[in-house]
Amino acid sequence: MRRLYSSIITFFAIITIVFFLARLSGDPLAELADDPRITPEVLEKIRALFGLDKPLHIQYVDFIINTLQGNFGYSLHYSRPVMEVIGEKLPYTLALLIPSITLSNYLAYRLGIECGWRRGRKFDIMLSVLAIIFRSVPYFWLAIIFLYVFSVELEVTPLFGALSPGKPMFEWSLDWFIDYLWHYILPFSVLTVRATLGLIPRVRSYTIDVIGEDFVVTGVAKGLPDSYIKSKYVARNAILPVITVMGMRYAFLIDGAILTETVFSYPGTGRLVFEAIYNRDYWLLQGAVIILALSVIIVNFVIDILYALLDPKVRYR
Amino acid sequence: MYIRGLVNKIITGNINIKNYLSKLWYIVTFSRASKIGFTLLGAITIMAVFADFIAPYNPYERVAPSFQPPSLQHLLGTNDLGQDILSGLIYGARISLLIGFVAALIGTLIGSSMGIVAGYYSGIVDEILMRITDIWLSMPTLLFTIFLAAILVKTRLPMVLSVILAISLTSWPSVARLVRSKVLSIKALPYVEAARAIGASDLYIMTRQILPNVSPIIAIEVVMRTAIAMIAEASLSFLGLGDPTVKSWGMIIHYAMKRNAIILGYWWWFIPPGIMISLTVLALFLISIGLEEYLNPKLRR
Repeated sequence: MRRLYSSIITFFAIITIVFFLARLSGDPLAELADDPRITPEVLEKIRALFGLDKPLHIQYVDFIINTLQGNFGYSLHYSRPVMEVIGEKLPYTLALLIPSITLSNYLAYRLGIECGWRRGRKFDIMLSVLAIIFRSVPYFWLAIIFLYVFSVELEVTPLFGALSPGKPMFEWSLDWFIDYLWHYILPFSVLTVRATLGLIPRVRSYTIDVIGEDFVVTGVAKGLPDSYIKSKYVARNAILPVITVMGMRYAFLIDGAILTETVFSYPGTGRLVFEAIYNRDYWLLQGAVIILALSVIIVNFVIDILYALLDPKVRYR
Repeated sequence: MYIRGLVNKIITGNINIKNYLSKLWYIVTFSRASKIGFTLLGAITIMAVFADFIAPYNPYERVAPSFQPPSLQHLLGTNDLGQDILSGLIYGARISLLIGFVAALIGTLIGSSMGIVAGYYSGIVDEILMRITDIWLSMPTLLFTIFLAAILVKTRLPMVLSVILAISLTSWPSVARLVRSKVLSIKALPYVEAARAIGASDLYIMTRQILPNVSPIIAIEVVMRTAIAMIAEASLSFLGLGDPTVKSWGMIIHYAMKRNAIILGYWWWFIPPGIMISLTVLALFLISIGLEEYLNPKLRR
């Protein structure tokens, strides 16, 4: 219950920040005002339509009410309500993020334990070096390299999009599914490779800590086989850091999705952020920021509950 | 404070410069990570400083036909405007490093002062500040940097400045958190209590006793943040939120993408700037690992 309150507070804090940042930057209609075709009277009408003629605190209350109702205004580029546009794109991004975070956490967990277990050996050094190199490579550039190598040079994957042109949004057929996967594989790999390598060092160092604990030493002293200690003593404990940072990993993956979807022209919410910048579609950007932030809050909330279920030391009232 | 003291000592001849240099040399050659890091960064910095002498052409001038593949005259070919890409890359080092460093400096400055104040006073100030950092840290950083940059770009500020501001204003919370935890442990030490007992003011304690003790981790943080800020700058530029008139490495990739260089297979246009960003960021990460090992003997192997 306490977690629920703090999630709600976080959400209000985020929309407050978004609102004031947006208003502090000056007149949202400044660009329209520069347009010679728009007369001052029309501008006044638009202003009244958006409620921009009211005092700031009333605008703020309106903004909160609108946000809670899922009303984020009107996308200037798509000429449709922002919520509708985002709702259409969000499934693509979620279908990308959720499998990616699951797989990358699993891989990082297994590989991180192996690294910690074989500390200082070839396997560990190789993966650690790889991890630090991949941390230095900008996300979008990694995506560009993947696109260049697989789609342009090898021509095994498509150049853009989530589906071949002419395919329906969704269809119950094997043909559709194969086409979807064919477009899916590259952005998915970029996100997963990067997320896995980013998490390995954390699991590794935690594993090393666990190996130094008394109960592991006791296990060794009892003469238990190494494989038993690894799977029952060390691996069970090493799952905790994976879960605690899962919310952060999700937020990090959203950043990755913005860049990756842009490179692959994948029609998700990340690509939408790019389009909103490109078209100066201000309301759309604001709506996307709030929706993505909300998804982070929900994910964090779910993880906290999971954590309480898994770790008997933590209990929420 | 520390720097002023150092300058004073140098002026009054009260210092053995050779000693300092040998200490610096020790830090540089301390571990394999810092050796590789400092060498790489040194090379890139030299490239940035002496760009005027190294670059074969003016990167903003049309010197050849457009879209030339690599040749002896133009080692990395030319772009859509017939500008030499290699020269753009060399000058880009200057801009990318500068933006990254300034953004990191501002972010660390805000973050450390917040962290010191929060850690020193605790209570309600601390509570509010830590609440904000918690919220901030759970959010996608790039998304908010994009949002902030998109807003700042609308104001009449110079583009470069709005990019720097957007990056630094989203990077301070994690610095604040780190510095605060260190301050909390220093605050409990006897000499701070002693200073308070003889009637030292809060400001005196914060600047003379706490700051010198947190400055090493602040220094590491600046290095680390420069790396992160460079990636952020490249990402913003790539998404079209950079200054279109300035050739940073991210901007070069942005234009390559815009002119379909990837689909056309012009690898010499978009691969080298990415390698440059990666190498610089790698160098900075390695230096920060080296510094951390130097300060924290537990991490040494």
